[in-house]
Amino acid sequence: MGVIAETTQENRTPAAVGAAIRRTDMRARGEPALWVLGGALALGIAMIAGFLALVAWNGILTFIPKPIDVVTQADGTVTAGEPFREELFRPDAEVLEALTPEWRARIAAADGYTSRTLYRTGNFDLYGEDFRWIPDFTVTKRERPANVLFIERLEWGPFVGSIKSATIDGAERQIASLDDPAFVAAHRMSRQRWAQANDIEKDEIGAINHKLEAARLDLRGVELDSGRDSTDYRQAQARVEADAAVQRGNYDKLAVQVEDLRRLNAANTVTFVAVGGEEKTEEMAHLVRFYPANDLSFGGKIAVYFSRWAEFLGDEPREANTEGGVLPAIFGTAAMTLLMVIAVAPFGVMTALYLREYAKQGRLVSIVRISVNNLAGVPSIVYGVFGLGFFAYTLGGSIDALFYPERLPNPTFGTGGLLWSALTLALLTVPVVIVATEEALAAVPRSMREGSLACGASKWQTIRNIVLPRAMPGIMTGIILAMARGAGEVAPLMLVGVVKLAPELPVDGLFPFVHLERSFMHLGFHIYDVGFQSRNAEAGKPMVFVTTMLLISLIFVMNVVAIVIRNRLRRKFAGSQF
Amino acid sequence: MLKKFGAVCVLAGSVAATGVWAVEVDPSLKDYKKAAGVEGSLKSIGSDTLNNVMTLWAEGFAKEYPNVKVEIEGKGSGTAPPALIAGTAQFGPMSRPMKGAEMDDFEKKYGYKPTGIRVAVDALAVFVHKDNPIKCLSLAQVDAIFSKSRKHGGKQDLKTWGQLGMTGPWASRPISMYGRNSASGTYGYFKEVVLADGDYKDSVKEQPGSSAVVQAIASDKYAIGYSGVGYKTADVRSVPISATDGGACFDSTPENAYAGEYPITRFLYVYLNKKPGAKLEPLRAEFAKFVLSKQGQTGVVKDGYFPIPSAVVGQDLKALELSY
Repeated sequence: MGVIAETTQENRTPAAVGAAIRRTDMRARGEPALWVLGGALALGIAMIAGFLALVAWNGILTFIPKPIDVVTQADGTVTAGEPFREELFRPDAEVLEALTPEWRARIAAADGYTSRTLYRTGNFDLYGEDFRWIPDFTVTKRERPANVLFIERLEWGPFVGSIKSATIDGAERQIASLDDPAFVAAHRMSRQRWAQANDIEKDEIGAINHKLEAARLDLRGVELDSGRDSTDYRQAQARVEADAAVQRGNYDKLAVQVEDLRRLNAANTVTFVAVGGEEKTEEMAHLVRFYPANDLSFGGKIAVYFSRWAEFLGDEPREANTEGGVLPAIFGTAAMTLLMVIAVAPFGVMTALYLREYAKQGRLVSIVRISVNNLAGVPSIVYGVFGLGFFAYTLGGSIDALFYPERLPNPTFGTGGLLWSALTLALLTVPVVIVATEEALAAVPRSMREGSLACGASKWQTIRNIVLPRAMPGIMTGIILAMARGAGEVAPLMLVGVVKLAPELPVDGLFPFVHLERSFMHLGFHIYDVGFQSRNAEAGKPMVFVTTMLLISLIFVMNVVAIVIRNRLRRKFAGSQF
Repeated sequence: MLKKFGAVCVLAGSVAATGVWAVEVDPSLKDYKKAAGVEGSLKSIGSDTLNNVMTLWAEGFAKEYPNVKVEIEGKGSGTAPPALIAGTAQFGPMSRPMKGAEMDDFEKKYGYKPTGIRVAVDALAVFVHKDNPIKCLSLAQVDAIFSKSRKHGGKQDLKTWGQLGMTGPWASRPISMYGRNSASGTYGYFKEVVLADGDYKDSVKEQPGSSAVVQAIASDKYAIGYSGVGYKTADVRSVPISATDGGACFDSTPENAYAGEYPITRFLYVYLNKKPGAKLEPLRAEFAKFVLSKQGQTGVVKDGYFPIPSAVVGQDLKALELSY
């Protein structure tokens, strides 16, 4: 220590002092710090903006109808498909040798590189593949004929080809153009009947099935209470059977209706022919939409674009989530997030109120505070494991044993579900709310509390009427942050209730309307599922972008709503301050 | 295991059709007929290899029985037995047969063994990048690439593409391996058949899903990896495999799989809790019948696997004491 001090003193020649002052000057002006801080901000914004732009760009472009190329290769193969993407590659020596000298020269001039295009050929039922790479040097002809259609079907993915003939009400006829009124009318009629049959199945038959199941559970309950040999059981059995007979009668009637609709639909078919001559006959009811990809006006493109969006936002998924819409996932995400807020807000605010207003500030409170802050850093999957072990298996298992014994061994609450997911996420986000609320409470001026107390208000009256209203904007900020974190979280949910395919929405028209025990679909999990689990990873990629964009927008909308509410509150109290 | 598969499938050799689209459902399988009054909820927990097929079956089944609820969770075959034992799932899809220990755990609770039905045929493909010109690999070579034990008798550890006889820029390139995580039945089956129960190298990059393996290979030119043939995309190529060094190579086509020629072929299973002698309740019985019907097996084709021949279906229906 002493040595260092001495050296410093020895070095204090006038020149050195001057240099030191100049250096301090620069630092004092804060130039370097300004650049570093500004740069960090710019970098951060650029990264976020770049990410959002990437997602939005891909998400917005996905549903635009693309043209269809019909490509003839040197060996005579003809392929029709949407050009999906292109890339440069370096063909092998073997491949190069087989090429014409002209191509070899061209490839050599480009440093050994040439390009190839990935085509989305569709017709998985005919070809056994949906995509095909075609290197440029094999192409002899590439054209965009006007009559090639892109047909989206209920099953097997898209079909690329043209119409050969159609059967309307059992009579075969030629279709001159897609605008042929008889054809258009028949297609519309078929789709309507299809939708009608679906409605009957979902709503009316669904209600009957629900009653049958309820009756069966009733009977099982009686059996558990009084045993199989009791008079109670025999009476209940007779009652349930009589009731079931009536329900089955209703069911048969509805089933006949559905059968009729299906039979009528079976008489309306279209036979398509792929570019290679293979034929495929489809019921008109199974054609979601079709359009001449290379002969589409601007208005037509817009119409296809928005009709795809409408399907995506308003329909249920099909074909193992690779097609159709994501309505159940949007619904599940929103329901789960709202439920989480309902659970986390009072819990977090009450905890913070006690910690800040009532608890004696000391070692214990400090430890609690540090623990809360540490909780925010626990990996989310740990919360998932806790939720599964504690909520689902322990708590849920007990609930099942007490309240739903007739449903066992099928678990009701004893497995992942909406309620357990919301509670798990509430645990995950409660530190955020506690910290934000504490900050907000601390920011309420002491003079206001003292004023209130001096006027004779009790401590609780002061908190309720003076402190809480003023702290509300800060508390709302905490809840907004918690919501944003919760809505985007997926890992713990995979353990406590999110599934790939949930057949029913967690909220519906059947008693008790909100079904907290049901598993649900989630946009975040949908992204993971389509991106990494689906058979056709290539076709899934654009859907990943669209779904990501949707999830971000959903979180954005929820946040904006919360911010608007917060600003209203702020304005309400702004005028009343001293 | 392999031999057993071959024996069953030689029977079915005639099933495989020819043409561009070779996979067709065995025409002697029955159409599914709807039964009345089936309602309730089903849950399936298990293999992620079967996840999509299960979803397709659930969709098809819901079409027959609106509002029958079928929920599906697919996080790996290892999750199926605990779920069946705990009763949280009625169906446990697995991409490998249940192990003895898992059977015993089940038996300890219920006093009988779970019943497994074979629902699809899967050729486990060894994928490389689409630009990789490699013609054929023997099982011993694949073993020496993926395993540090080399139980198939490979003489040296294969680390570069050059050691597989490739020339030019490939010769010096290291082989980059991708595989599944250990909860997956695909991981277990590959280990059993290809590695002969040896150990994977630590440098095998474990992926969370079959599709993730394929995507990783698509973006890594010097990669090799394994997953179900159903996950093939245009960006990867499946390498023909020979059972012995220098033997004939067979690609993962349905013909080769049915004939038992392709060495890494397996059945995919769905397990359920059936008390011997007792009838299955209608809901589970109808779902099992649906899976084994023509409609159910079309779902298998849709997802890129190979449907099971009707001889096998007959045996499995008998095991479940069901009939069409």
